[in-house]
Amino acid sequence: MGPALDIPLHVKYIQSLGENKDDLVYHLTAHLRMNAVYWGLTALLIMKHKDALDRDEMIDFVMSCWDDEAGGFGAHPDHDAHIHSTLSAIQILVMQNALDRVDVPRVVKFILSLQQDSGVFAGDQWGEIDTRFLYIAVNALSLLGHLHELDVEKTVGYIRRCRNFDGGFGAREGAESHASQVFVCVAALAILDRLEEVDQDMLGWWLAERQLPNGGLNGRPEKLEDVCYSFWVLSAMSILNKVPWINAEKLTAFILSAQDPEQGGIADRPGDQPDVFHTIFGVAGLSILGYPGLDDLDPVYCMPASVIESLGLRKGWTALPRRQV
Amino acid sequence: MHNVKRVRYSAEALAAQRQREKARLKEFQSLTGEVLARKQRKDHSREAFDLTTRLLQINPEFYTIWNYRRLVLLNGIFVESTPTQINDVLSDDLSLTTTLLKQHPKVYCIWTHRQWCLAQVPDGPTASDRNGWRQAYWNKELFVAEKMLEADPRNFHAWTYRRYVLAQMPVKRPETADLAFTKRKIESNISNFSAWHQRSKTLTSLWDAGKLDKARSLEEEFDLVRNAMYTDPNDQSVWIYHRWLVGPGEFVIGDDKGLLEREVSSIQELLDIQPDSKWCMESIVFYKKLLLRRHGDSLGDDERGKLNSECEELLGSLQSVDPDRHQRYVDLSRNHHIV
Ligand SMILES: [Zn+2]
Repeated sequence: MGPALDIPLHVKYIQSLGENKDDLVYHLTAHLRMNAVYWGLTALLIMKHKDALDRDEMIDFVMSCWDDEAGGFGAHPDHDAHIHSTLSAIQILVMQNALDRVDVPRVVKFILSLQQDSGVFAGDQWGEIDTRFLYIAVNALSLLGHLHELDVEKTVGYIRRCRNFDGGFGAREGAESHASQVFVCVAALAILDRLEEVDQDMLGWWLAERQLPNGGLNGRPEKLEDVCYSFWVLSAMSILNKVPWINAEKLTAFILSAQDPEQGGIADRPGDQPDVFHTIFGVAGLSILGYPGLDDLDPVYCMPASVIESLGLRKGWTALPRRQV
Repeated sequence: MHNVKRVRYSAEALAAQRQREKARLKEFQSLTGEVLARKQRKDHSREAFDLTTRLLQINPEFYTIWNYRRLVLLNGIFVESTPTQINDVLSDDLSLTTTLLKQHPKVYCIWTHRQWCLAQVPDGPTASDRNGWRQAYWNKELFVAEKMLEADPRNFHAWTYRRYVLAQMPVKRPETADLAFTKRKIESNISNFSAWHQRSKTLTSLWDAGKLDKARSLEEEFDLVRNAMYTDPNDQSVWIYHRWLVGPGEFVIGDDKGLLEREVSSIQELLDIQPDSKWCMESIVFYKKLLLRRHGDSLGDDERGKLNSECEELLGSLQSVDPDRHQRYVDLSRNHHIV
């Protein structure tokens, strides 16, 4: 038998992330700070330790990243607004029940202004496009209760054009299917109630074939396993109600084997340096797999299921039943 | 963080490392402070531009600094420059991104900036040769993207960028050249699904435009993929591509029923040599079910019953050959019984 999920150690690891201010790496990753706070907080909530980070301090940090010129949130104070950090900010505020701090109409305007004629969204005014940004827009508008302002046909049209013959989706029209892009496209379609756009049998097959003999999941055919795909692949399978199509026991063991048993945190694969990104996506994967002692994760929004339910946004996904220890 | 081995340092080693990093940290922090302060006061000078270069060399993922760099170019440097000077600046910026991409081939910001630079190239060098500069860049861009794919043939940033370049070049390259390119990639490694994927896109585009004899090129593709199957029957890239070639519902060529039967028996031959091949079994089930779905009416009851029970038998074997996906085979035999 392999190791169990060391929740107290991972909680300590996440708490320690804000305390490394003498580390060069801490400063070199400032452009990901808002996302990192969202990853850390979500992991804590799923591990039932919401109070491990100070709520007021967190909300103050989020608000200090507001970019008043653009009308969105940057990743860090004085960084430019970007759609990705804006979604993370909204998700944090929703989880902390502090959405009243946001100028919602302005954020909605910022997000909608990024939709291109093709239907895809740009990350910011500089025009990088990606189906990730499209999902982010759909997710954020939904959390803010402003989905009715979105041109749904145009948005779904773009996703449709990114669908490949293998059932998967790419980052742009013409791009190869990739598990993280499959997640964003399937989750966006789920939020828009348009899952009929998915060739579910074909995609279910492609997703099930992401599992390698060692139990881990890869993101594309003939690539290596990585803990973060536990979420990208499993979330899509969960939305399509196909989680039983892979070996849950082996995947659970793989994720657990990537824990750092001394410092806490989860890495991309066993023996590697952990980080908060792989920690949340490892924990998220375990939650979908029914790992005991965790809270349910909503695979569409990658937030606690109870939070999404309270907003009335729950879709028809299924995870494996929660196991008792 | 990906592919970084976990190393356990002693407290002393850690302290020593901190000490070494201290100078670098201080430099990074003061540089960041200075650049962000200049950004705040809308400093669009050459000096500010050079500072962004230094900062981006330390941290090429710092998207705000790339944004600021573009503002300095648009609102400062370009305003005072002739088209030739603008072209020179852009040429330098492209070189900067080339250097950075060699070290950081998967950083989105660098690829984005590269694309932005290309869009800024002015008309020139002369009024009669307005696309001259642009075409020279685009030819080089293709070379850069393909160089990146030599270093990592699965780098999806490079594939995406290459598609962008091919679509945007002022003077287009014939698409048939792409067939030669993807074939080369596949021949050097049949597991390179990125190349198979690209090939499917190029072929579709050529067929749709009527630039390629579909029936004949399909046969060539079947030969290519059949060879690959025999090379490594466990390689899933090949089977996924084969499924595209047969095209469930996408297009029906000539004698579709004959084609399906031919492919089933060709895979059956491979299965006879490799009796445990999961991919052979899985594909035979898929194509037999397709045969039933598309041509069930023209088959007799006996034939239909035979195909169904063959599928059942294979799905049973698959449950033991591929136990990780056991439940999928159970569901397939339960739900998809085609009458
Ligand atoms: Zn990863």
